[in-house]
Amino acid sequence: MTDRRTTAFADATESDVRAAFDAEDYVADDDVVTTVLLALRLGKPLLVEGEPGAGKTELAKVLAAGFDTDLVRLQCYEGLTAESALYEWNYTKQLLAVQRGNRHSSGGGSDGGGSGSDGNGDGSDGSDAGAEDGERGESVFTEEYLLERPLLRALRNDGETPPVLLIDEVDRADEEFEALLLEVLSDFQVSVPELGTVRAETPPVVVVTSNRTRGLSDALKRRCLYLHVSPPSFEKERAILARKVPELDGAVAAELCAAAGRLREEPLRKPPGAAETIDWARAVAALRTNGDESLSSAEVEQTLGCLLKEVEDVERVDDDLLADLLDAASEARASTDAAR
Amino acid sequence: MSDVPDFEVARDHVRDELVRFTRALRRAGVGVPANAQTTAARALVEVGFDDESRANVALRACLVTEREDLDTFDRLFGEFWRRLTAGVTPEGSAERREDDPDGGFAPLGGAPADERVEESSGRETDGDSDDQRGAAASSSLGGVVSKNAGEHVGEHVATKRSPTGTPTPVAAATTTPDQEFERAFADLTDALAGLRGRRWTAGGDERADARRALRSSFGTGGIVVSMPQRERTRPAVRALLLVDVSQSVLDTVDRSFLLGFLRRARADWRDASVYFFDEELRDVSNAFDAPSQTAALDALERAEAEWGGGTRIGASLAQLPPDAVDHRTDVFVVSDGLETGDVAELERALSGIAQRAASVRWLNPLAASPAYEPAARGMAAAQPFVDGIFAFSEAADLTELARQLRTRGPRERVGYEYDSRRE
Repeated sequence: MTDRRTTAFADATESDVRAAFDAEDYVADDDVVTTVLLALRLGKPLLVEGEPGAGKTELAKVLAAGFDTDLVRLQCYEGLTAESALYEWNYTKQLLAVQRGNRHSSGGGSDGGGSGSDGNGDGSDGSDAGAEDGERGESVFTEEYLLERPLLRALRNDGETPPVLLIDEVDRADEEFEALLLEVLSDFQVSVPELGTVRAETPPVVVVTSNRTRGLSDALKRRCLYLHVSPPSFEKERAILARKVPELDGAVAAELCAAAGRLREEPLRKPPGAAETIDWARAVAALRTNGDESLSSAEVEQTLGCLLKEVEDVERVDDDLLADLLDAASEARASTDAAR
Repeated sequence: MSDVPDFEVARDHVRDELVRFTRALRRAGVGVPANAQTTAARALVEVGFDDESRANVALRACLVTEREDLDTFDRLFGEFWRRLTAGVTPEGSAERREDDPDGGFAPLGGAPADERVEESSGRETDGDSDDQRGAAASSSLGGVVSKNAGEHVGEHVATKRSPTGTPTPVAAATTTPDQEFERAFADLTDALAGLRGRRWTAGGDERADARRALRSSFGTGGIVVSMPQRERTRPAVRALLLVDVSQSVLDTVDRSFLLGFLRRARADWRDASVYFFDEELRDVSNAFDAPSQTAALDALERAEAEWGGGTRIGASLAQLPPDAVDHRTDVFVVSDGLETGDVAELERALSGIAQRAASVRWLNPLAASPAYEPAARGMAAAQPFVDGIFAFSEAADLTELARQLRTRGPRERVGYEYDSRRE
């Protein structure tokens, strides 16, 4: 199956992956680079887990942009159905086609059973009578009436480079939906009853993300390579800010990273991820008039909403914790200044 | 990604170690997917063997599916990597029994073992007023450890603790051929792993293997050409090695023999943790995993520099992590038993270990003397809690230990007093 499929990235190199990340200003540790490279070369889906805001979704976006290919995104949610993920039939178009066919038949002087045609015109039940476009005998279950949804679109992509298929937050979908994914993840194919098996010419790059709100099935995990994205270290977060918010002074960025790191030590309901730190840095940079001044308590209080997204978490930042945050920031600035 | 060795024997070795690693992960509770070994093998081929961290990431991606298992994976990966790289050379893989005790197998893409040994020995004699430091290093090794530590070639000078307590250099005819050590260690391993398991494995001569005979007869038209044999599997050795690195022991013990023994135990036994102790306990297992002996030597030198004084055996053993010993663990204490701390504490600590371990055996360098008696107060206090005190100065001591275990059994009285060489 996948072991023998030719992947478009079988010859990808580490420098290719790094270049793709660099081009999109995505700061990746060595373990991320190696795991992504393996996923590309082995043609295996990549299951990415980690705290919200750790950059899981961003990883897929960056891969698509970095390799200059399409990103096909399937956002999972509770109640997600196969129709929404795979394909649907364009019922309206089918109905019109059937009616057109019937009118054509009636106009030809035939009395060929015009009655009841409306009822049969609904192709949703797949009945033969409704599935035939009048006298022409053409099926309305053809490409013309097919509405591709993300999974099918990714498999049928005929671009030069296969797309990146992002199956985002798979843990939000029902367990039954996972079963649907298995065929896609292992064989890069789906079975459409009316069309047969649709198989990808070249497997897409698949990134599956999970926030671990529930356990995933062994069958799904077995089909994927696994990558756990840890919260960013201080140094990594600084590097991210340097890339993403270049307008912010380096010493201030260090202060923000240290304060965010200190906040993560607190038992928060929603610890800030790298994405929140970027938002915070952008807010601080936008509000500043004097670029390289030390972070002030008023500044932190004004912008804390960018970092913390739960009321309880915001209320937790009392004077003591605020002082701790500023202490951590001050230390980071001192060490940054010393290193300069 | 790096080139991969394309030779059959190495591939077998890699496969074997990968299977062993996967089993170890599963035993440790990691939910390794059923098809993960195949993917892991492919991933290993992709990343090559010249970078441990990259191989770690690659195998982690294939074999782990839960964040909670990452720590367990990392803990076991070190052992896997050591075994993998110790058995693979550009010329092929080697039989483990024939491995040089110095661990002279380079990771692919790394410098050959000989070069590394030369580098390390060069490093020891270089820098820091080279001659002085080299002399100091040489002195600190007591003239016992040759440059290629663990290679027992030619005569060397050992120091024996004199009755006056002053280390006195003595010429020791301790030409210990590697082969002799190899045989002795293999003997000991066999004796420790002597209790047979319930599973059958091919080989041996315990019983005819009818199933294999039937299968092989299909190729010869139903004629059984030879009768395959099978035997019970033997459990691998799990050991805890507690090494006293106080000055009195370091003055007495043959360090190259000690390091060779510890390295071999780490390499050959299923699970062997090594702790140094003097006034506190330190886990130095990783120092014995490097391809060359330099790291182990450094650990010993560091222990000597940091401690190297009197020893508080009881207080040190009390620091042992609770999970370091279980009912399958054979504990070896390498010490002269000269306790400078509280003897009652030694009794408490040792009795606790003895209750949890499969056995506790005390390897005492002083017991090599025909006149030795455990009169030191620490040794006397420890004696009721140990399953035997043995000499520990040369390969023949290991052979004797193995002989007693084999002939007298693990439940019978064993120890220096039953050493046939004393008669």
